[in-house]
Amino acid sequence: MNHKDIDMDAIKEKFESLFKDVNDRKQLDDLRVKFLGKKGTVTTLMQHMKEIPNEDKKDFGQRVNKLRQSIQERIESGIEEVEARLLKEKLERETIDVTLPGRQRPIGGKHPLQHIIDSIEDIFVGLGYEVYEGYEVESDYYNFEALNLPKTHPARDMQDSFYISNETLLRTHTSPVQARVLNAANGEGPIKIICPGKVYRRDSDDATHSHQFTQIEGLVVDKNVSLADLKGTLELFLKEIFGQDREIRLRPSYFPFTEPSVEVDVSCFKCGGKGCNVCKQSGWIEILGAGMVHPNVLEMAGFDSNEYSGFAFGMGPDRIAMLYYGIEDIRHMYTNNLKFLEQFKYIEERGVKHESI
Amino acid sequence: MKVSKEWLDQFIPLDVSKHELSETITRSGIEVDDIIDYRETVKNVVVGYVKECEKHPDADKLNVTKVDIGDETVQIVCGAPNIQADTYVIVAKVGGEIPGLKLRKAKLRGVESEGMICSLEELGIPKDLSPKEFEDGIFIFTETDNITPGQNALDALYLNDYVLEYDLTPNRKDALSMIGSAYEARALFGGEVTEPDQSFNETSDTSLLSVSIDDEESVQYYGARIVKNVTIKPSPLWMQIRLIKAGIRPINNVVDISNYVLLEFGQPIHMFDYDKIGSTKIVTRYAKNGEKMTTLDGKDRELLDTDIVVTNGKEPVALAGVMGGDFSEVKNDTKNVVIESALFDPVSIRKTASRLNLRSEASQRFEKGVSHVFVLKALNRAAHLLEKYAGGEVEAQLLSDGTLNLDDTIIQTSVSFLNKRLGLELTSKEVKDILDHLGIKAEGDDELTCYIPSRRDDLKIQEDISEEVARIYGYDNIPSTLPKYSKITPGQLTDAQVKTRSMRELLMSNGFSQAINYALTSEENIGKFTTLNEGLKLNMPMSEMHSVLRTSLIPHLVDNAVYNKNRMQERIELFEIGNIFKTNGQTKLPDEIQKLAVLSTGKVNDTKWLNTSHEPDFYHIKGIVEAIFTEFNLLKDVRFEATTDYEELHPGRSAHIYLNDVNIGVIGELHPTYSKAHDLGQTTVAEIDLEHVLDKSESIIYEPIVKFPSISRDVALEVPRDVTSQSIIDLVWSLRPDYLVEIYPFDVYEGEHIDNDKKSIALHLIYQNKEDTLKDSDVKEAHEPVLERFEKEGFTIRE
Repeated sequence: MNHKDIDMDAIKEKFESLFKDVNDRKQLDDLRVKFLGKKGTVTTLMQHMKEIPNEDKKDFGQRVNKLRQSIQERIESGIEEVEARLLKEKLERETIDVTLPGRQRPIGGKHPLQHIIDSIEDIFVGLGYEVYEGYEVESDYYNFEALNLPKTHPARDMQDSFYISNETLLRTHTSPVQARVLNAANGEGPIKIICPGKVYRRDSDDATHSHQFTQIEGLVVDKNVSLADLKGTLELFLKEIFGQDREIRLRPSYFPFTEPSVEVDVSCFKCGGKGCNVCKQSGWIEILGAGMVHPNVLEMAGFDSNEYSGFAFGMGPDRIAMLYYGIEDIRHMYTNNLKFLEQFKYIEERGVKHESI
Repeated sequence: MKVSKEWLDQFIPLDVSKHELSETITRSGIEVDDIIDYRETVKNVVVGYVKECEKHPDADKLNVTKVDIGDETVQIVCGAPNIQADTYVIVAKVGGEIPGLKLRKAKLRGVESEGMICSLEELGIPKDLSPKEFEDGIFIFTETDNITPGQNALDALYLNDYVLEYDLTPNRKDALSMIGSAYEARALFGGEVTEPDQSFNETSDTSLLSVSIDDEESVQYYGARIVKNVTIKPSPLWMQIRLIKAGIRPINNVVDISNYVLLEFGQPIHMFDYDKIGSTKIVTRYAKNGEKMTTLDGKDRELLDTDIVVTNGKEPVALAGVMGGDFSEVKNDTKNVVIESALFDPVSIRKTASRLNLRSEASQRFEKGVSHVFVLKALNRAAHLLEKYAGGEVEAQLLSDGTLNLDDTIIQTSVSFLNKRLGLELTSKEVKDILDHLGIKAEGDDELTCYIPSRRDDLKIQEDISEEVARIYGYDNIPSTLPKYSKITPGQLTDAQVKTRSMRELLMSNGFSQAINYALTSEENIGKFTTLNEGLKLNMPMSEMHSVLRTSLIPHLVDNAVYNKNRMQERIELFEIGNIFKTNGQTKLPDEIQKLAVLSTGKVNDTKWLNTSHEPDFYHIKGIVEAIFTEFNLLKDVRFEATTDYEELHPGRSAHIYLNDVNIGVIGELHPTYSKAHDLGQTTVAEIDLEHVLDKSESIIYEPIVKFPSISRDVALEVPRDVTSQSIIDLVWSLRPDYLVEIYPFDVYEGEHIDNDKKSIALHLIYQNKEDTLKDSDVKEAHEPVLERFEKEGFTIRE
């Protein structure tokens, strides 16, 4: 064949038509071998060189090289193109159903009492209080006598107790922690504590009674503490827990370890005070007992009751949790039904936000 | 205390609405628990005069009556056994209302009936308060002078009234009487209190009776009067109804008068039959241990030397302040009466009443201490009433022994003290005005001398005065302030509290829900999952289930698991942080040890459609426990040592946990027998003593990140089956190979191709030089001795 008959454009066209159908890397390699390999179409063109007159040799060589180059480039770019296409196809095949559930990493429920206790602790820690826990088995002295409840005191009837021996019992309230902290303070204030913990009374368990329940006690003792300070502190606290629109009211009451003693009501957080089933139509919910620390309690613990005064308050997280969440039976708190506990795994908003600045 | 408004008005007229009265009283210290208002539940009920009464033609137990109800005479069918003609009765008219019923015309066995003749019970008076004679039938008026047919029956019955039920706190014994309630009302609404008439005519007779107190500690004062020739009969209707409204059943005039006076003055009165006392002397003393008497309820009582008795000089005639004796009781044939009004030791009365379970209106008041000022007033009032309503003749002489101190007590306080404690700025005049309302005279300007009448002997210290000022001034009027501390102290949780919170978060993040169980458990749980074999027992448990303090948290978690499994819960993972109790002997305080317990059972790692779930095994819970130790940076100090000490645990799959050398817990799968007995599948538990865990945790020590690559070597060993991975790793570390930074097992194999008593463990060892690039030759030098040692131990190194 005369070299002049060699149609390089046709070779290129042939390559292009084959290239179009390449589907994978191997076909691409085969194509390269077919055109650029040792016995490839382009490579073998050079065999014609010896037949070519010297004056045309240069031109022919250049044309072959140009063809080789263009095919080379085409194949190289083709690699990326094919690979991208192949990857795309592969990924399409790998499509999953994104709506199927994930590999479960379950989270557990936080006990509702813990929710309440933690938020109360946090509020008071923010106000500069410390948290003390004390003992569940107490001496008669700390549970009663140090709290102005001598053995003959009629108010001991108010709290039927689980005695272990004549002098030891399951604490009936968290107030012995008060007495112990006061005792340890060597007559020097300020004391600012809250004391959460389990307490025990001789009650038959039913929907509203439990022989074991929780209490949180608060105590502040310093040189100038007044009933107005108690009222202000509880107002601040109850608004934090139940909302800023709440009001509180104090009613005179009686506890042997405080004088004066008050019951504290908060305006109903459900109906806002209009009356509903939560507040039994009264608009008010009895939420805690409080008062000014009885001078006998201060004196027994070594405080000078003329110099120091203080307030104490106590509340029941069980009752608060029941009111707050609408829990209908106190026994749920101690049955540990997961259908109950798992309802309390969520974080709750407290309505505290910063406006953007 | 139940306070009838109509009765209260007799002491102090109050022109306020029912709502204002109850609200004001509640807000100033006495909770009005309930209001019983007969006017709201009884409507259009009148006095009727039964003109005729005949048998019902078709019913044996019914009568057909013609009753004059004022403007007409109606026919009423009545089933009461005590219905008879010519009586005045209570008639609920057609269209009228009694509790739970609206009256309509009716036919009873074919006979028209227009209205209903009522019993007291049908008007809402509890049956056990109705006078005995009317208990099972209709009420019949016995005092007919001032009543007319058609008159509102509530007026005729003194029930056109409402009753406030006080829920008194123990310190408000002053309001346990009508007069005390009247003084409280005076403090709130103003006005003056009128005392009831205590006058009587004294006869010149004096009987031969002496009164003496053996022991002034038990009886401070004993007063008595003799009233002769009384006639026992029903007391007047108004008195009966007032007693009923106060919750006391009328009996007869003498008994009713003692109860009535008790309600008026809060001073319990006892009446003896003078002729049955059996001597001419009354002597009070402590009982002798084992002394016996029969009380008027017919029960034989064995006494203690803390009980006070009133005696005839030889034997008890009454258990003082608690209950009378049987033979000196006032009966229908009683002629002559001794009235007793005394001061008994409150503590002694309380002990006696509670031991014998005899809580009465009288003992309740003595327990709290009665006011000296009313002792003689009550005695004289009783004499007055016996004269007036029992035809008695009051003997001249007041018989008494002991002392009756009627002086006011004095409390010193100051206006500045009161203001400081209350956070107020009251003037001296304002304080004195408040105290004056309470009947407390106060003298002085800033320094106040307060004279406390004995009816308020509950007020003892100046803080009590501050409470009186606060409640009358009004708690709503007290400002809200925050304390001005003498020293600012930061509020913070302790390390242990922060760590406990963090531990809870970690457990919850791993799917464990927080349980809280009872600390009281049953004896059978003591010693389970613990080496503590003895529990601290309650001396009077309410049930066997809650009789002893727990020694481990696990038994209740197992109960929780059973409870949840029975409710179709598939994955049960719970933790509890709480105290267990290590007894130091029944009379000593126990050691309270804070523990963490975890339990896992059911399906874990359960992504249903992936079929990944499995039962939690030993390593599942061990992973959680290790996560906790990791958080506290204690993992490197923790060891697990297999144990067979616990019957409740799988003997081959349980371990003690050691922190350094202290045993701090136990971990294991439940023994298949134990879990089967509880109807549970494979269940794994652990319990850790938190005291040691919360005690220690280390600061974070940052190390620069090593820039030089590490080199690792794997080695597979064939070792006897009982050789633990830990012992092999410990062995490697004991050789202190240079550059070794980490070693862990990555494969464990038992089974085919390995002897039955052997297993294969493959270890991965990582070498790294922190200061330079490690050379193969360095690793070889470090690793060779390890391999040599393995061979020396008799381990086969597998290729």
